[in-house]
Amino acid sequence: MATLALSGCSYSPCWAGCAGKSTFQSKRKLTVSVAKPSSAGGGSSVTAVCAVGGKQRSVPELNEGIATFYNESSGLWEEIWGEHMHHGYYDSESSENVNHIEAQIRMIDECLKWAGIPEDEENKPATIVDVGCGIGGSSRYLSEKYKANVKGITLSPIQAQRATALTAEQGLSNSVSFLVADALNQPFADGEFDLVWSMESGEHMPDKRKFLQELVRVTAPNGRVLIVTWCHRDLKPQELSLTPDEMELLDKICDSYYLPAWCSPADYVEIAQSVGLKDVKSADWSEFVTPFWPAVMVSALSFKGLAGLAKAGWTTIKGALAMGLMVQGYQRGLIKCLVGNKPDLGKSFHMKMLENR
Amino acid sequence: MRLLTHNMLTCNIKGVTKGFPLSIEVQKLETKETDFNPDFLKNIFPKLEWKAFHDAALSVGLNDIPEQVDPVMLEDSEFLQKFHHALLEVHLEEGALICPETGRRFPVSKGVPNMLLHEDEV
Repeated sequence: MATLALSGCSYSPCWAGCAGKSTFQSKRKLTVSVAKPSSAGGGSSVTAVCAVGGKQRSVPELNEGIATFYNESSGLWEEIWGEHMHHGYYDSESSENVNHIEAQIRMIDECLKWAGIPEDEENKPATIVDVGCGIGGSSRYLSEKYKANVKGITLSPIQAQRATALTAEQGLSNSVSFLVADALNQPFADGEFDLVWSMESGEHMPDKRKFLQELVRVTAPNGRVLIVTWCHRDLKPQELSLTPDEMELLDKICDSYYLPAWCSPADYVEIAQSVGLKDVKSADWSEFVTPFWPAVMVSALSFKGLAGLAKAGWTTIKGALAMGLMVQGYQRGLIKCLVGNKPDLGKSFHMKMLENR
Repeated sequence: MRLLTHNMLTCNIKGVTKGFPLSIEVQKLETKETDFNPDFLKNIFPKLEWKAFHDAALSVGLNDIPEQVDPVMLEDSEFLQKFHHALLEVHLEEGALICPETGRRFPVSKGVPNMLLHEDEV
């Protein structure tokens, strides 16, 4: 149930997530400082770091790690998967005969439909920011769909350059541009964007509260925020933490993909509410994404994929090896992907969770 | 980086209150032709900070952007061509954006601005 609103909440047994308890016990070398939000929803922000066998990454290390990871592996990912770097949406468990690129595009459409983003001339988004834009797949798609002006931000200079090049190739340079910038400190004025889009980049954010606050800051009045992000499963009422096995699995995934500690869907919902978001709506889409990682693995194990991996650096290879861990995580019902929706002060927030049982 | 992008960027270093507009330091410019779309220009016009755009145009060597614009000028195709060129066709490939308050330089490399803040700036 993990009702404590933390940013970057940890999955280790080092905080009690419910009813305001704050005992700290850890069997691992994990440093998490916990501040409970005040009843007014204020509360100091929490910084959690992902602990892997005692090794911790600070925020600057994490950001550098993320940038390097994507600098190195983005090219290979693009070769295997194309321009989208997120889960595909599938109707059935079977990944056979499914065009994965279509599934990834379908994921975008299903999110927008679920969130009720208007398509009529009057109300459709005119300005959009793609937070954690990768090589701009979503940015370009959203721009075309709404004829909107889109800015994409990423920590990786290589990705930003590649995104710019792909955008020019597709003739969309007038409407879509990219920057190297930090999702937690965006170089935009308040209220700049009608739609704030974060498709599977929230996992990288070390401070979930600050992340959501910043997303809200750059959202225009009557604008919307839509996040798709990975979470770990909600804790059961009697649980204080995930099981040691589960934590070990997540640890490995965190380490390979440069992810800080994970939240549960309930955590996210509470953070969203605590930063002033109302009507947070969430949905469980695990079943629709289950075929994704096995399908990624099939691609990676193809001749092309293996050839690419053979040339790639250790960071990329490690990321590839972690795919098996993702499959495990989904099969065990551990990894969740969250979708949510929130209107507040005229701003709607849609946060999507893809939850796997 | 085009001037359209520049018009939306601000310096968000902690404590800075006047982080817009960023000044432009030019090392390398490129002109890339792009399709002229008057409707696009008319739609984007109200969202622009015109003074910032005018000053930015000057700093990339364009002095044919008026300081003030009357909306009726948006029907004048000659004006629109100049507007189009300055807004969309001139790219800062190498250079920097400079915070007006702190002087902090944000590099622009291969056309992509790097707006990452240092740890002590957040």
